[in-house]
Amino acid sequence: MDFVISIMEQGLIYGILALGVYITYKILDFPDLTVDGSFPLGGAVTAFLLTRGANPYLSLFAAFLAGALAGVCTGLIHVKCRVRDLLSGIIMMTALWTINLYIAGTANVPLFSQETIFKNGILEKVFPEGLQPYSTLLIIIILMLISKFLLDAYLQTKSGYLLRAVGDNATLVISLAKDQGNVKIVGLALANGLVSLAGSIFCQEERVFEISMGTGAIVIGLASVIIGTSIFRKFTMLKATSAVITGSVIYKACVAIALQNFEPQAMKLITAVLFLVILIVGMERRKKVKTDAGA
Amino acid sequence: MKKRMTAIFLTAAMTVVMMTGCGSKEGTTESGGDKGTGDSYTVGIQQFAEHGSLDNCREGFIKGLEEEGIVKGENLTLEIKNAMADTATNAQIADGFASDKVDMICAIATPSAQSAYNAAMDKEIPVIYTAVTDPVAAELADKDGNPVGEITGTSDKLPVEEQLKMIRALLPEAKKLGIMYTTSEANSVSAIEEYQLLAGDYGFELIEKGITQTADVALAADDLLEQVDCMTNLTDNTVVASLPTILEKANEKGIPVFGSEIEQVKIGCLAAEGIDYIALGKQTGKMAAQVLKGEKKASDIPYEIITEPGFYVNNKVAENLKIEIPADLTEQAIESFDEISE
Amino acid sequence: MLELKNVYKYYNPDTVNEMCLFRDFNLKVEKGEFVSVVGSNGSGKTSMLNIICGSIPVESGQICIGDKDITREKEYRRNERIGRVYQNPAIGTCPSMSILENMSLADNKGKVYGFRRGTNKTRISYYQELLARLNLGLEDKLEVKVGALSGGQRQAMALLMSTMTPIEFLILDEHTAALDPKTAELIMELTDKIVKEKHLTTIMVTHNLRYAMEYGSRLLMMHQGEVILDKKGTEKSSMTVEDVLGLFNEISIECGN
Repeated sequence: MDFVISIMEQGLIYGILALGVYITYKILDFPDLTVDGSFPLGGAVTAFLLTRGANPYLSLFAAFLAGALAGVCTGLIHVKCRVRDLLSGIIMMTALWTINLYIAGTANVPLFSQETIFKNGILEKVFPEGLQPYSTLLIIIILMLISKFLLDAYLQTKSGYLLRAVGDNATLVISLAKDQGNVKIVGLALANGLVSLAGSIFCQEERVFEISMGTGAIVIGLASVIIGTSIFRKFTMLKATSAVITGSVIYKACVAIALQNFEPQAMKLITAVLFLVILIVGMERRKKVKTDAGA
Repeated sequence: MKKRMTAIFLTAAMTVVMMTGCGSKEGTTESGGDKGTGDSYTVGIQQFAEHGSLDNCREGFIKGLEEEGIVKGENLTLEIKNAMADTATNAQIADGFASDKVDMICAIATPSAQSAYNAAMDKEIPVIYTAVTDPVAAELADKDGNPVGEITGTSDKLPVEEQLKMIRALLPEAKKLGIMYTTSEANSVSAIEEYQLLAGDYGFELIEKGITQTADVALAADDLLEQVDCMTNLTDNTVVASLPTILEKANEKGIPVFGSEIEQVKIGCLAAEGIDYIALGKQTGKMAAQVLKGEKKASDIPYEIITEPGFYVNNKVAENLKIEIPADLTEQAIESFDEISE
Repeated sequence: MLELKNVYKYYNPDTVNEMCLFRDFNLKVEKGEFVSVVGSNGSGKTSMLNIICGSIPVESGQICIGDKDITREKEYRRNERIGRVYQNPAIGTCPSMSILENMSLADNKGKVYGFRRGTNKTRISYYQELLARLNLGLEDKLEVKVGALSGGQRQAMALLMSTMTPIEFLILDEHTAALDPKTAELIMELTDKIVKEKHLTTIMVTHNLRYAMEYGSRLLMMHQGEVILDKKGTEKSSMTVEDVLGLFNEISIECGN
């Protein structure tokens, strides 16, 4: 049971990150490497605020805003300076390393003695005794649901429509008399805001900020998006956002199982193989769809 | 239809993998004997990264347990996991140990100690750490050195004062002491602070050079060596990994470089007042044994630092640099080398 | 009124491949005109449309709408009053979104794309009405993704979408070229109907000489960046496809084709 709970906790936190990656990778068609920097950015902002006694719930908003700002920067570098998408992300990711270090103060900020969204006075009063062991998971589920439903709702607004259109067909957005660059910037801001929010939650759940916590975040995010969207491609009842979050939980489950059965040294290889298999399965289907349409 | 079949197949496969995963997990814990009861123990070792010093800690820890009669394969089941410096994996390893309900987690290096403590604190699993430079800064111990919970261990804090004293003894004329460190390594930053505090007492002017990645080492070394009379090292992972580059440049200029542990002296540092990580691991293992046997609770044992640093010297390097090692120091040396190993 | 004044356009400027397309090019399109443009490949028809819409910059010269100089205006800004349909049906619609979502998107052109619900439920019946006029049965498939439609269906939607909101100019860039003859005919009739209804000033580039003769109030033939034939009103209606074809062959022979 504990095993499942810890997988759920990790998977759902990273599920919020995956929502962000879903926006850039699937909707905007923008390979955004900023994620490796904006994930720890959320943690750094949280560490900064919590060690100064700020309200932990406030830190979630602050982290989202900081991440959104990072996304705007990536967008400006790409749109205004005409730097290629991949490079814009790499530039921002590199810059964020230093920025994160400045914000947090040091490379490792423990939060054991601080109140977090998972452990604070109010919470202990509110949660009934019996539910205490599950309080962390419940809070993560609530945050995940809020993120998911807000994103779903946003994608159904006019602004959200435009965002979906820009990755699909940028010319159409120009035809609608809108600057496609601005739409991309909005998308990147939203995506990195979510990633940074996930960073803040992760940092509070782990009760420590570590500068290297973003390394490989983009890989986890991409894997979750691809697993989710490939496996649940045929389940039209399931929204893409739900599929992506489920993908993240599946990914974390695979990692947990692999950790138990293989040498940790083999982990990266196992991840790569899993990734490849799912990509191939996904691609095979796409090809079929094309031939169907042609016939 | 075919597509749906693939999808169903895939999910089914995943489920099967999950089931077998869980199944085999139970298998391993059973083979470890009935944990917690009698005299048989299961210990999870959580190491943050693949690293010479950390590996030595792990070996030392196992030896330390052995000396106390807790022997692998007899009354001890070990689960050794390495996070390969990945924070997400690190967290999952800790969660895994906690849900397996091991009898103790041994965490090697600061991030591992923090995530192990975080995962174990509600499960009443004691955590013993080692190679944590500053347990107070990591919030694993309070200001007086007492544990914050069921967690204690050993610190690999550098013996800065002894090192400065030793450098002064070997180089009476030296004024400027250079140190290179990685700005993102918390251990290095806190060691630098201590050097800043103490360097003046021994008549040194400290010149530090911060880097962010391996690629900076060569340039930073050129710059630093222009300004200093001698250099010393911390246990900085990035710098230590690139030590050969620094040593080569220093040798060209005839500038002595001091190390912080035995391995560094072996490959060409002049000398070190350093930590023997195997000894540190052993010390940790003995603390762990006390907790496992129920003699003491982890929360009652303050964290320990290595009682006495050892002096290591490389005579070949001294000869190359034409530096005379005082006889009293030579006698004290725990180990001295007559050649530089590559 | 749309006017191009003394326009110069070079491709690959300052390289050995420099090519001058327009040298002192002038064109004036009056309000309400329907201009059909024909000409061989490389004669500058599509470049002219791109210059008008702002998709490519000019070296010098002016582009004016009425008295207003829009030469420096960004492409997306110009599109506030311009609707454009491309040769490729995929460019005018968003394949991963449903028909309803595409219609809603187009319906909001010129307004703020804010946090209001993307689809206004009260407009659905209006969209269905518009779609019903296409006679393609799209009005019953509102939830179908546009990517699943045929080229003709998508082009019909693109035409509908680009003319849904009040615009002044309609730019048609060989918009029937990728369609089968029957669908092309249908789209062309629909175009004519919309242009007449909304009194749009239209510029249509086409390779179909019959369409060029049959539709529109003015005919332009372009060759190597120049207008070599410009007929309006009765002058145009008195011409036949054979006349135009004859002229076409003449210039082709000059080029050695």
